[in-house]
Amino acid sequence: MHVLIVEDEASLATELVHFLSQQHYRCDWAHTGRDASEKIAVNLYDFILLDLGLPDYNGLDLLEETKQLDHDPAVIILTARGSLEERIKGLGLGADDYLPKPFSLLELDARMQAVLRRKFKVKSSVLSFHGFNLDSTARKVSYQDKDVSLTKKEFDLLHYLLLHKNRILTRLQLTEHIWGNILEDDYDSNYIDVHIKNLRKKLSAHIPTDWIETVRGVGYRLTVS
Amino acid sequence: MRLQTKIALFSAVSKIIILLLLVLLLPFIIHRVALHNTDDRLLQKRDKVISMIEKQGIETFIAEGDNGAYGSYNLLKEEFISLEQINSPVQVVDMIENSLRKVEGEIEEYRVLSLTLEVDNKYYLLEIGRSIATIGENTNTLQQYALYFLVAVVLTTVFVDLAFSKILLKPLRLIIKRLQRIGHPSTFIPARLNTSTEDFLYLNNTINDMMGQIQAAFLKEKEFIGNVSHELLTPVSILQTRQENMLADPTVPEHLLVKLVENQKTLHRLKTIIRTLLLISRIENEQYLKNEAVELKQLTDEVVEEISERAEAKEVALQVDVEEDWTLQQGNESLLHTMLFNVINNAIKYNLPGGSIFIKGRAVGKGYELSITDTGVGIPEDQLPHIFDRFKRFHAADGESQGLGLPIVKTVAEFHKIKLKVQSVLGEGTTFTFHFPKA
Repeated sequence: MHVLIVEDEASLATELVHFLSQQHYRCDWAHTGRDASEKIAVNLYDFILLDLGLPDYNGLDLLEETKQLDHDPAVIILTARGSLEERIKGLGLGADDYLPKPFSLLELDARMQAVLRRKFKVKSSVLSFHGFNLDSTARKVSYQDKDVSLTKKEFDLLHYLLLHKNRILTRLQLTEHIWGNILEDDYDSNYIDVHIKNLRKKLSAHIPTDWIETVRGVGYRLTVS
Repeated sequence: MRLQTKIALFSAVSKIIILLLLVLLLPFIIHRVALHNTDDRLLQKRDKVISMIEKQGIETFIAEGDNGAYGSYNLLKEEFISLEQINSPVQVVDMIENSLRKVEGEIEEYRVLSLTLEVDNKYYLLEIGRSIATIGENTNTLQQYALYFLVAVVLTTVFVDLAFSKILLKPLRLIIKRLQRIGHPSTFIPARLNTSTEDFLYLNNTINDMMGQIQAAFLKEKEFIGNVSHELLTPVSILQTRQENMLADPTVPEHLLVKLVENQKTLHRLKTIIRTLLLISRIENEQYLKNEAVELKQLTDEVVEEISERAEAKEVALQVDVEEDWTLQQGNESLLHTMLFNVINNAIKYNLPGGSIFIKGRAVGKGYELSITDTGVGIPEDQLPHIFDRFKRFHAADGESQGLGLPIVKTVAEFHKIKLKVQSVLGEGTTFTFHFPKA
């Protein structure tokens, strides 16, 4: 996967490149609109992460340029301005998703995977782990053809842990993922603990769940060998 | 009451008062005029009689040997002239007055001119009279016509005033109509006023100027919000991604991981404060649309579904009793969702294990009332007026609250013109009531 990061903030771009390289994406970085415009014209990118607030370019113009390319790369808009009009305009111009800054890298990765599945029409979206199957399209979990009944939040939590398997997810990251659409003025990580407890109870009815690890004082990790 | 109505009423009332005064005064005036005319006529007759006496001599009236008197009435006894010889008068008489006279057995009141004359060394008393009844008859007719005329004049002027004031006040009506159409200063379009009345031109120009200034201020604020959000959220964004990369680094020892998590929490706090303040500013700056029809039953169910697991975790029972079929026609669903979520979340947070939350919705008149009652710790009376103030933290259960949850609730409610009421009894619980206006 070849990704172009269009971002004028060098520090942010560095972190993005670092993260995405670890996720086995091949990354290019353009720090100005002109630079990006040239790179888009020359290279075949699968993914463009587009910051709208560029000093020399209107990010939405750049979005239109990418839409005129033959190979149609996926575009996710990243912006700190996040006004409603920009959002509507961006999605209207054919961006695949919109992520307001500041965002979690894990959230970005999850969105990128979702966009890719949509884009390349991946029909099977079943993830298998420890004898369980998680179908992210049908939002169902089963163990050897037996349905495991999970609440919406429990499903989201399990799916997120699975997407970022073998990685410690902090309670805050998990909270942001499952409650992120709501702006509340405080966060209570206890709810995550309760959800994990319930999740473990439901899954361990089938096999022991020592693969959902608690990392003391930090968070949780789902390990899949 | 509208100005035009007031002017019309004032004009009508003042004219009716003048009319009444005239009607009261009219008999008196007309009587005076009639008397004056009668007196004039009597004087003219006197002059005629005197000139006849001078030309033809007194003998024309009083022959020698008569009893020294002459009298003449017209047929209906409306007028009379009498001339009689008298002894030398004590004083010369020349006056007009009312007096009773007996004529052919009937007593009638007359207006009588009396005059003493000296002709050929003899003295005579000339009297010319006119029946008062006759004068009265004339007066009545005159009075009647005058009254008709006055009523006609009053009616005409009232209608003319009405029409004229309507024309004069038309620009004012236009200005008011335009002001009524404005929901928010940003929707105001300055327009010229077509009138020669300087006051209205001044008023219109001032409104245009003021609205222009308000619009400019709103635009400036919008720009400021945009800049602030970009300038503050970009560094936060960098910090967050850097911390996440460090968390994922397997070479970071465990005791530092815990510190990183603490850092992440602090950063999250900063992020939430910025996002909340931006949200409030954006709502106040009308940057959100209200173009969705929001079904309140459905909205409540969605929020309850989302939050029910939190209630379960806190062992709090959620009881929902929301009547169906009430839709807020112009709303912003995601903002209303946030509003309701924050209130119910508080009801859970400040509740006691085993407590309850009652969510009740009822149509009240043409509006709708949604109330959220908890059996929690309650809010002390002296703090109740301040719970919607930003950054006021009172009885935070977990110490994580920024005191921005309720300001969001209040801002969203005001944005939708929802009336918000809070009642609380310490130790018993709190009720938030949203009163949705009719669509």
